[in-house]
Amino acid sequence: MNVFKNFFDKHGLIVGGYLIFAVSFWILILILLPQLNMLDFSFRFNLPPSKVGGPEDVYTASNYTFLMGRYNHEDVWVWNSTDLTVFYRTILAAVFVTFFDLLLCYPIAYFLAQVARGGFARLLVLSLVVPFWVNEILRAFAFRILFGDVGVINATLKSMGIIDDSIDFIREDIALYAGLGYAYILLMIFPIYNAIESLDKNQIEAARDLGSPWWRIHWRVVIPFAKPGITSGCTMVFMLSAGALAAPQILGGPSSLWFTQLIYQWFNTGGNWPRGSAYAIILLASCIIFVLLMMRLFKVKLGEIGR
Amino acid sequence: MKSSTFLSIFVGGYLVIFFGYLFGPLILMSITAFNSSQFPRVAPWDCFTFEWFGELAADDKLLDGLGNSFIIAGGVVVISVMIGLAGALMLTQVWPRARPWYYTIVISPILVPGVVLGISTLLFWDRLGVMVDASYDSVFYNGTFLTVLGQSTFISAYCMLVFISRLQRFDPALEEAALDLGATHVQTFRKIMLPFLYPAIGSAAVLAFLASFENYNTTVFTIVAESTLTTVLANQVRYGINPSISALAVIIVALTIVGAIAHEAMRRREELKVRRGELTDTSSAFGNFMQGWLSGNPAMILLMLVFVAGLGTVWFSSQYSAGQCKLDLREQKELLQQRQGPDIFLPGSDAGSDTPALEDGATDGGLDNNSGFGGVFDPNNLEQAPTDADTPSDGEGAGAESPGSSTFGDVFAPDNLNEEPQ
Repeated sequence: MNVFKNFFDKHGLIVGGYLIFAVSFWILILILLPQLNMLDFSFRFNLPPSKVGGPEDVYTASNYTFLMGRYNHEDVWVWNSTDLTVFYRTILAAVFVTFFDLLLCYPIAYFLAQVARGGFARLLVLSLVVPFWVNEILRAFAFRILFGDVGVINATLKSMGIIDDSIDFIREDIALYAGLGYAYILLMIFPIYNAIESLDKNQIEAARDLGSPWWRIHWRVVIPFAKPGITSGCTMVFMLSAGALAAPQILGGPSSLWFTQLIYQWFNTGGNWPRGSAYAIILLASCIIFVLLMMRLFKVKLGEIGR
Repeated sequence: MKSSTFLSIFVGGYLVIFFGYLFGPLILMSITAFNSSQFPRVAPWDCFTFEWFGELAADDKLLDGLGNSFIIAGGVVVISVMIGLAGALMLTQVWPRARPWYYTIVISPILVPGVVLGISTLLFWDRLGVMVDASYDSVFYNGTFLTVLGQSTFISAYCMLVFISRLQRFDPALEEAALDLGATHVQTFRKIMLPFLYPAIGSAAVLAFLASFENYNTTVFTIVAESTLTTVLANQVRYGINPSISALAVIIVALTIVGAIAHEAMRRREELKVRRGELTDTSSAFGNFMQGWLSGNPAMILLMLVFVAGLGTVWFSSQYSAGQCKLDLREQKELLQQRQGPDIFLPGSDAGSDTPALEDGATDGGLDNNSGFGGVFDPNNLEQAPTDADTPSDGEGAGAESPGSSTFGDVFAPDNLNEEPQ
């Protein structure tokens, strides 16, 4: 109680009350309780409202094991290969998108932080921000125009005589990767930019004076210094692209689903909310585990990122 | 230095590719909004037109969603700015051992997939509603309410980050001085802290508005039976695309560019003011303004260009009529078809309806011929084709002979998909 008394002494009743109320509303009502409730919900059977709370309303792990497989009516274990494939493809594709973004964004972040100056640098930053604020759906739509069957790229390639028949970029998921990578460029650039900006120019100068070629300067000086920024950029891009829904819905090929689309289906057409929440938790948990594993692999501490 | 020129060419090429990737899709999409073709495309250009903007303005569902989006964004701005401010102020108040936990919890909504946030919000309020036995039109099942809460969960964290970065430059001595001089806590908060945070409140509000306005992943679960701009758009895009969406994109892109440039100009003016204030206090307000306006700021020049381009467009549209162009195009097409001679699937005189949409063509075909396959099996089809193919110059007559063979309307007319004249 002493803590609270000190707190209110320091801030006064009104301001202190506002702080306490707003923060606890946020943490409890908006963040923690809904997540815990979802966790609880995912361990239940999908019952009609009349049976909720009745004797059949018991805990079960069946929603989770459903992703792996289940026993059919002859008691033979059948792997749920469709969902498992979707799951593993989603993670793999998210890794790919992250890697692509890193390759694309590291040079521009370095350029912005160390090379570009004054009005030009400002213009660059400004032009980075604009595409980011255009609606997610519209961005995906733009890529559909670009990569569609009669889209700009196919038309150009045809008129140049490189190909005869349209390439189905959407079925090959190229449109999806390009669209996802596009959406998170900014989230990759800014953490890296922040990290590199605080690098003392003299270090680069010193390395150059000592005769180091440009690639070794990056490999030995800039990248180690920017590692926290790179990690947080990669983490954000990976989490967001694995959890993306709009781009896969619009740009995804007819035969390739994204894991979030499975969740969406359980909630809408499937009508099985507990299973949908179990899938959502699986997505969340595996993304977190994957990120932590990667951080262990690249020897980055959790505290270093998010600065 | 040879290697340095090589390097600068490399860097220049890279910048071109990067910004091509960044802006190419948006520019192409914007161009398609002015093409009269039914399918959004650039390559075979039909007619310059503004009709898609008109169609956009007549789309009730979209406007309805837009209204909802504004209401939701307003709610989110209020809640997120308040929560974000409190969250940032609390960060220094939480005792040190708990601080990493606190920070992890409040920052986590940014990383948690939006889908998960939407689902958890929906389920939580659904269960609360069941607990208190609320009716289905109560607040627990209200899409707008749920969406505001669901979005605020993570947008508050964005706002908090904005406030934290501003607070890092705050001098706590100011607050202590005010308290020492006898101000109450509320007074200190209102007269010292809030004025210091005003710029951050502004940018947090803008950020919250934009983030709420463009959110889809969370909204699609929490919106229940209602709709927002993004959910309406997503439905439209998934079930068939047409250039009126491009028209909307043009508007949004234009607003974003103007907003970003205005923000940049404002920041620049403020900086100039600060710098000039340090040097001299004598320069006139007008001189300040003009110098701020034109001091080689590329953003300002760009804004002028946008303005000039806008004026040009208005002038052009008053001089130009899309209808005439479309008529011309139709004539051209008819001429072309007649010259080529009739194809089984290419009725010459039926093209009067000016490149009908796919669905229209299909239903027309279905209505004209009551058999499911239209006139595919009409023996005349096969008989006519070879004879006419021998006499390609006999355009008019062939055109008149073939309308009965319009099997699927214009569905298979090559012109529908690919207007390139062969």
